[in-house]
Amino acid sequence: MVIDLSPFYGTTTPFDRLFETLWPSMAISQRSVAYPPVNIGEDDANLYVRCEIPGMAIADLDLTLTDSSLVIKGERKVERGKYYRQERPTGVFQRVVNISAGISREAVTATMRDGLLEVVLPKANESRPQKISIEAV
Amino acid sequence: MAETTASRPEERRLPRVKPATDIIEKEDGFYIYVDMPGVSKEHLVIDLNEDELKVSGKAEYALPEGQKLGHVEFGGGEYFRSFTVSHIVDKERIRASLRDGVLELHLPRQERAQPRKIEIQAG
Repeated sequence: MVIDLSPFYGTTTPFDRLFETLWPSMAISQRSVAYPPVNIGEDDANLYVRCEIPGMAIADLDLTLTDSSLVIKGERKVERGKYYRQERPTGVFQRVVNISAGISREAVTATMRDGLLEVVLPKANESRPQKISIEAV
Repeated sequence: MAETTASRPEERRLPRVKPATDIIEKEDGFYIYVDMPGVSKEHLVIDLNEDELKVSGKAEYALPEGQKLGHVEFGGGEYFRSFTVSHIVDKERIRASLRDGVLELHLPRQERAQPRKIEIQAG
């Protein structure tokens, strides 16, 4: 079981960022071995959590949204038979993604395609950037 | 890093990845499972040439306009793996299916050659 309690942007130290700019492709392979690997994206309206979990149907995954985190849980089943080679990970996994921004919880959606999980978390209105009009007195 | 990836996706060559693979023998033959997350059926190529079975696929994650990545642990890649097929496998009946990013190859064993009498023709 893997529990990753890293904060949202927490794992990138300035040194990591320097390293990434010098050698972008290495930065991915040298990252932590927490399973499953997670990418977190953001635009003005939503947060996107993407996850590589091959071989899992969305029904087998357990997604829990708490006040400040998204928990992705599941189990990769073992095939029966005589193994000549086993490289694919098996067993129970869990990953916790901390979310610091406000989320409108009712509108969260999750899709699974080709082993890639995408969770779209729409930002709550209060955490979106807003223009404030200034009235002249 | 995210910005450079998004702005010039053609220039960046995808890293070559050796996908994680299980090879299992069951009662009805051999099964090969290959983890290829992000690969769709259209981007998967399976070649069988003599005894060599080659599997390759491409996973490319284009970042939509206006989106930034804050935390990156995986990227796209070109998966490539080759296997040598034993002579006990019936090559005509190899089946492949791709589901949820896992390629399943079923390699059935060859039917046992039935012992048969050889007729002798009088010359």
